[in-house]
Amino acid sequence: MLHISSRGLLALLLILSELPSPGLPSPLRPICDLRVLKHFIEEAKDTEAAMLTCKEGCALWDPVTVPQTKVDFNVWERKSTLEKAKEVQSGLWLLTQALGSLRGSVTDAVLHSHIDNSLRNILSIGQVLRSLNFHEYTPPAVGVAGDETWRVSSAPELLQVHVNFLRGKLHLLLSNAAVCQQGGS
Amino acid sequence: MTNDNLKKLLVYLILFFTRKTSVQGAKALETKVALLLRVEPNNPKCFAEGIRDLTCFWEGDQERADSAKQYSFIYKYQNENSNMCNVTALPAAGSKILYFCRLSQTQLFVPLDIQVFRDELLIHNRSLHVELVFLLDPPANLTVMHTEKQGQLKVSWLPPPLKYMADSMMYQVSYTMAGDSMEQVEEVSASSELILHGVQQASKYNVRIRVKLDGVSYSGYWSAWTDPVLIETMPGDPDPLTMSVSVITFLFVTMLSLIVLLFKRRFLVKKIWPIIPSPESKFQGLFTVYGGDFQEWLGHSTGGLYLRPAYYFTEERPSPLEVLSEARLGTSLTSSALPTKALAVLGDERDEEKKLKKMDSALLERWRETSHEPWLMDQLRGLHQLPAPQAQCSPLESHDAYVTLSAQNHSGVEQLDDILEETSPLQILFASGRTHSESHSDLGSLQQSSGSGRLSSQSSFEYPNNTWPPKGPGYTYMAGADSGVSMDYSPMSLSRIDSIGKGVIYTNEYKNEIPVPRQPLQLAF
Repeated sequence: MLHISSRGLLALLLILSELPSPGLPSPLRPICDLRVLKHFIEEAKDTEAAMLTCKEGCALWDPVTVPQTKVDFNVWERKSTLEKAKEVQSGLWLLTQALGSLRGSVTDAVLHSHIDNSLRNILSIGQVLRSLNFHEYTPPAVGVAGDETWRVSSAPELLQVHVNFLRGKLHLLLSNAAVCQQGGS
Repeated sequence: MTNDNLKKLLVYLILFFTRKTSVQGAKALETKVALLLRVEPNNPKCFAEGIRDLTCFWEGDQERADSAKQYSFIYKYQNENSNMCNVTALPAAGSKILYFCRLSQTQLFVPLDIQVFRDELLIHNRSLHVELVFLLDPPANLTVMHTEKQGQLKVSWLPPPLKYMADSMMYQVSYTMAGDSMEQVEEVSASSELILHGVQQASKYNVRIRVKLDGVSYSGYWSAWTDPVLIETMPGDPDPLTMSVSVITFLFVTMLSLIVLLFKRRFLVKKIWPIIPSPESKFQGLFTVYGGDFQEWLGHSTGGLYLRPAYYFTEERPSPLEVLSEARLGTSLTSSALPTKALAVLGDERDEEKKLKKMDSALLERWRETSHEPWLMDQLRGLHQLPAPQAQCSPLESHDAYVTLSAQNHSGVEQLDDILEETSPLQILFASGRTHSESHSDLGSLQQSSGSGRLSSQSSFEYPNNTWPPKGPGYTYMAGADSGVSMDYSPMSLSRIDSIGKGVIYTNEYKNEIPVPRQPLQLAF
C-alpha cells in the first residue's frame, strides 16, 4: 500500500512537472519534498531485510563496484555542490550496475521483486535530481574508480551499501539543494 | 581600568563560564549515562551528541580495582584501518567506576567496529553506525500558551541545533493534569510547535517534551524529558446545554413575572408605590383656588372655621383649657428670668425630646412627671403662694386666672414641635391688680413635646363653683392674672381643643373681661 502510494506520488509529481505547454519545453518543477526519498530509503531497507531472510538463490555471483558511503562532515562540508552532486550521481550509477548484476544472479522471487523495485527507485531519484537542476550524469567510458569506490562480493554488503548511500550522501545532497532552499516546492 | 586588569577580568570570566558550562555538561553527561545504562543492553554503550562526536563507556568490575590503563579501546571503520582511543575512568554512583572513550571526529553512514580489551583480553565487541546512536539534549525554551479556542494549548520549543537533521527530528509532548497520574502523549515530526486538544478548562497541566531522530536517515535514543512547565487553563464558557437551560429558565421566569404583573398590577403598585395620602380633599379649594395659601384660605373659608381645627388634630384629642382664677402673684419676677428659665426648660426638654424621640412614650411621660413637675410645682408655690396640690384649690378671684394646659400623646410630632417653637416663649400676660403691666407667668414649661407627657389645658371657667379639681402631678399650672390685656394665641398654640362634640369651642382671643361663668374661652386659629 505504501509502495503504491509512494510511486503514485512520484509519478504524479513527475507528470505535473512535465506537462507539455505550448512553445518551448519548460523546466521541471523542483521536487523538494523529502518524503519521497524517505520512502525510497524504507524500501531499500526492506530489500536488505529480505536478503537477510533469504537462504537460497540470493547470492552475488561476481564482485561489483559500489560507491563509498562514509561521510566525514569535516570533509563533506569542504566540497562544492558540484562535487557533491557528481559524487552522488556517480554513486547512483554504480548502484544501478551492481543491483542489475544482483538481479541477474538472484533466483528468489521475493528478493527479485525487491531488487526490481530498488532499481526503479534509483531511476526516479535521477528524475528528482534533474528537477533540482542537477546535470544528468554521464558515466565515464572506463568506469568509475578511485577512493570513492570499493568492491563488494556479497549481496548483503551490496544492499547495505545501497541503504547507506541513500541515507547519507543522497539525503544530504537533496536536503540542501539550493533550489529547495529558495522556497521552491 | 588598565589593560592588565582587563585581561585578568576576561580570563576570569572565561574560566567562570567554562566552569559553569563544564558543570552543566557534567550533569548532562551524568543524565545520559544513567539513561543508557537503563535502555542499552550492548557494551560498550555509545552515543553521539552531534555530527562529529561519539562517546562510548562501560562499567568496570567492582571486585577488581582496575585502572584505565588496563583497558584498550580499538575502533575500525569499514574499509579503513583500526585506531585506538584513550580510555579515562570516572567514578559513578554506587561506588561504580565507568570507563570512557570519546571520539572527536567520526564517520557516518558506514559501519564502525569497536573492541574493548582489558589486559589484552577482549571483553566487549560491537558494530554500530554512528548516525544511528544519537542521544540529543532535550529541546530548549519549552513554552506553553493559551490559544483562542477553548480546550487547547499551544506548545512550542526550540529544536536541537543540529545541522542537516531538522527534518529528521521527532518529538514527544507529554501533558498531565496536576494531581492525575494518567499521562497523555502526542508525537510530532519535523516541527517546533504542537497544539494540544482536549484539555480541560480551569485545570492545571504539567507539560514536558523530549526529542529523538526519526530513524530514516538518522536514529538514536529518546532524550531526557525537559523540566515540566506548569500552566493553568482558562475557565471556559458554559457548555451549550447549560446555556440553553439557563436561557429557557430565564425566559420562563420573565414570562411568569409579566403574567403576575398583568394580573396583579394594582396590588403590586399599591405595595411598591403606596398612595400618599393627600389632605387636599379635606381643604376644599385650598390648592385649587388659593394655591396652597392657608392663611388666605382660612380667611375666606366659611362655615368651616369651627370645624377646621378639629381636622388639624384628627389624630389628636384636644385637651380642655381651664382658666382658673387665683390669688395674685406674690413676688414679681423679672420678665426675663422666669420665661428664660421656662424657655430653658422648654428648650432642654425639646432637645431631650429629640434625643428621646424613640423612647417609649409612656416611659417619657413618667420621666416628665417625675423630673419636671416637682420643680414646676415648687415654682408655682413660690410665685403664686399656692399650697401644695390638694383636693381643693383656693377660689379664684375674678381678676386672676390660671390656665392649665394638657397635652396628650399624639402622632403629629412635627406639628407639635412647630407649635412649640412658635409659642416659646409662651407668655401669658396676666396681671393682678396691675394695669398696663405685663407679668409673665411662670411655668411656660409646657411639656408638650411630642409624644411626651401630658399637659392638659383646662379652663377654670369650666368650674363655675370655683372648684378646681386636682389634676394630679401630671399637670402644670400657669398663673395668670387678669390685667385687661388681650391675649392672642397663635394658631399653633399648645392649647388643645376638645372634640367638637363636647361643645367646647375655643378661640385665640382672650379678653380680660369679668368672666361670665361658663363662658367658653375662645381660641381662634
